[in-house]
Amino acid sequence: MIEAYLMHLAILIFIYLLLAISLQISMGFTGLFNLGHIAFYCIGAYVSALLALNGFPFWLSFISAGISALVFGFFIALPTNKLKDDYLALATLAFTFVIYAIALNWTSLTRGPLGLPGIPRPSLFGISFSSNLSFLFLTAFVTLASLFIIKRIVDSPFGKVLEAIRDDETAARVLGKNVFKMKSYALAISAFFAGIAGSLYAYYITFIDPSSFTLLQLIPVLTIVIIGGLASLKGTIIATILIVLLPEPLRFIGFPSSIVGPMRQIIYALILLLILIYKPKGFYGKVELG
Amino acid sequence: MIAMQLLINSLIAGAIYALVASGFSLIYSTTKIIHFAHGAIIAISAYFLYFLYSILGLNFGFAVILTIIFSAIAGYFSDFLIYKPLRKRKASSIMLLIASVALLILIESIILILFGADVKTIGFIKIAKGIEIFSAIITPLQIFIIVSSIALLLFLFIFMKKTKIGKAMRAVADNKEIAEVVGISSEKIFAYAFIIGSFIAGIASILVGLEQNIEPMMGTNLMIKGFTGAIIGGIGNVPGAILGSFLLGFAENFGIWFLPSGYKDAIAFIILLIFLLFKPEEILGIKKESKK
Repeated sequence: MIEAYLMHLAILIFIYLLLAISLQISMGFTGLFNLGHIAFYCIGAYVSALLALNGFPFWLSFISAGISALVFGFFIALPTNKLKDDYLALATLAFTFVIYAIALNWTSLTRGPLGLPGIPRPSLFGISFSSNLSFLFLTAFVTLASLFIIKRIVDSPFGKVLEAIRDDETAARVLGKNVFKMKSYALAISAFFAGIAGSLYAYYITFIDPSSFTLLQLIPVLTIVIIGGLASLKGTIIATILIVLLPEPLRFIGFPSSIVGPMRQIIYALILLLILIYKPKGFYGKVELG
Repeated sequence: MIAMQLLINSLIAGAIYALVASGFSLIYSTTKIIHFAHGAIIAISAYFLYFLYSILGLNFGFAVILTIIFSAIAGYFSDFLIYKPLRKRKASSIMLLIASVALLILIESIILILFGADVKTIGFIKIAKGIEIFSAIITPLQIFIIVSSIALLLFLFIFMKKTKIGKAMRAVADNKEIAEVVGISSEKIFAYAFIIGSFIAGIASILVGLEQNIEPMMGTNLMIKGFTGAIIGGIGNVPGAILGSFLLGFAENFGIWFLPSGYKDAIAFIILLIFLLFKPEEILGIKKESKK
């Protein structure tokens, strides 16, 4: 029993970690105020679930989840690149609502509030990942590989340009960098990894519905990124473990599940508020938001 | 006549959104804080009224007055406990925005724990028989909502133009530094903005609570609509926000003539996204002025 529970937590940690490090690309490294991350996660989850339910192989739905999120990320960046700061935040936030409303109302495709049940567990090269242990390995592999790729991206010259844009956009432009293009790429890459995180989530839970992709889900991810510190991958890893495990004791105190859910939200929201007020750079952050 | 009924429905929806948008916009114009938790203040005030009237059984008029006071105090404390410390350490506007979303979620989760997820009705007004106007149906309460919303617009207009606090609020909105030079304490005016904006939220909570069922997440829904109204009207402009809210009411109700009714909410989101993506100058224009 306890193994199953720990395995579940480990899988959640890896999925959240993937989601948080992908948000770091846009928010932490490029300084884009992207509050639409849950929308990309949602797109990934739905694309992947719909393909899987229609019999497409895992690798194809997984990659498609990432690519479709990437395309949305790129296109949302086109007009929003003109917008700075909090207007980008508002536009991406509104994008989250739009995607949620589509998931809820396009019933012929998404079954609306009923959600999509019975998503098959993935199999790859003849190996089935139907047990939680094998799924844990798969999730760990995907997340660590993504972490490795993201680390390579942010350490590359391209990553340095992104940080230059974050620190001083005008200077980056004067130096002849195509800021507009770079920001679009950053948001698209960020969305790609959020999309594959959504795919993993859909394959793991085997059921998705629109309620998994609301503003409520944004708070823990934002909290992780801000606690860990902007542009710090190390901080993000520590913060993810902390944030996923922190509300777990609530289960053992014996609260009914109707209380545990909101309690968890209260804990996340309070931590986020406290960190914004008292430790705005987080624990390993190089820069402050804004 | 379907058109007449849609027209009336648009007016009712618009009036409710205007009640949300006007307080929000008043707070924004003075403090430049995108106070999303405004929606949660409305929600928790509606629950406060439910608690006083439907659970404790207080006299309705008394409960209404206490609710409005509660709302104003809640608004004041959200500024005092959250935004003020953030301002003190010169937090960026994005941090204030994230803080307001966190506060929204915090308050909604508290409501969820205290009252549960099921919908509640305040049930002061027994289901009233609608009045027929040009073969469209409207209830007396709905007429009252429309009238109060318009009255509130007038009240706000006069308040901002004629009273000392209103003038000081406009001065701070125009240019905080110069206002401080002539001896207006911007912190004090910010507190006033939150109190007055949340006072309006209290009125909104009562009218919405009487017209609709109340549920813990109502704040987010109302806020998206009110915010969209405010964005359409130019976010820091209170009369504009009210007008924008009515436009949104019309767009939603006439929109479902062409779209499945489930898309009613999506219409607001899409308008919001379009305005943010393609017409930012209007919103940005206000920001530039404040930076001068």
